[in-house]
Amino acid sequence: MVEHTLASEPSPFGAGVTSRKLGVWMFIVADAATFAAMLVASGYLRIANPDWTRPFELWPSIVNGIVMTVVLLTSSLTMIGAVLAAQAGRRAVALRWLVATMGLGVLFAALHLREWVGMIGEGWRLSRNPLGGTPLVGATFFSVTGLHLLHVVSGVVVIGVIAVGYRRARFDPGHVETTGLYWHFVDLVWMFVFPLIYLLNVR
Amino acid sequence: MKRYVVVWVVLLGIVALEVILTLLRLPTGVLLAELLLLAVIEAALALLYFMHLRYERRSFAWSVILAVVITIVLMDHFWFDAFRLLHQRLTP
Repeated sequence: MVEHTLASEPSPFGAGVTSRKLGVWMFIVADAATFAAMLVASGYLRIANPDWTRPFELWPSIVNGIVMTVVLLTSSLTMIGAVLAAQAGRRAVALRWLVATMGLGVLFAALHLREWVGMIGEGWRLSRNPLGGTPLVGATFFSVTGLHLLHVVSGVVVIGVIAVGYRRARFDPGHVETTGLYWHFVDLVWMFVFPLIYLLNVR
Repeated sequence: MKRYVVVWVVLLGIVALEVILTLLRLPTGVLLAELLLLAVIEAALALLYFMHLRYERRSFAWSVILAVVITIVLMDHFWFDAFRLLHQRLTP
């Protein structure tokens, strides 16, 4: 049977939608709705509160955010390297790409935590705004970025588990592919978090 | 791999454009519209290439995309209430 896809060339990835891949996609759809709800809630609160304050300066917050974005986008590229190498049966190369992806994930989390520590040091809390406006600024910032950070940390752990299993031949290239789908989704969410939470809140 | 490097470079370029637009100090509504448009383009590239949705069956790809789009459209009912609250708080 001919499969009609959006691409004209044959797929270099696993053919068809396996039950495992379908499961991950269903999770991604549900998680996308969760993040959408968080971002809509953030926008709602911003519009409804005339005393909304913008917490971020270009330096260091936005520059740090740009570095974090580059790190996460690069980790998607290394993840693609892992998936393609695994599909081609190059186990050692795939493992190296997976380790690189984990390293970039850890770097992203470290940069994010450093930023959090800096903001907490300035007096930002879930219920406190050191600039004097509505405390909902801190509540939405820590909630949205915290949920995303949780996904990044979970992703690093999952990639580690998959890498160990794949090295011992307990997992196959399909596992690497579905883990990659999750990791790219985490990157995709950041594509909305960075402009909507950071760039729209520059002083 | 070369194709994915090109996509990565394009994504980095879009991020740079987002930052430049922010530095132009545009009105918030205009900046929001432009940033959202660029984010949707980024998301489409990530879905089609990194998540290789372009290699999946069309029916599957559209099912996934429409499920999220419909959910987000349904959430848009709340904006009217946000503006109602804003006017309520601004009116003495």
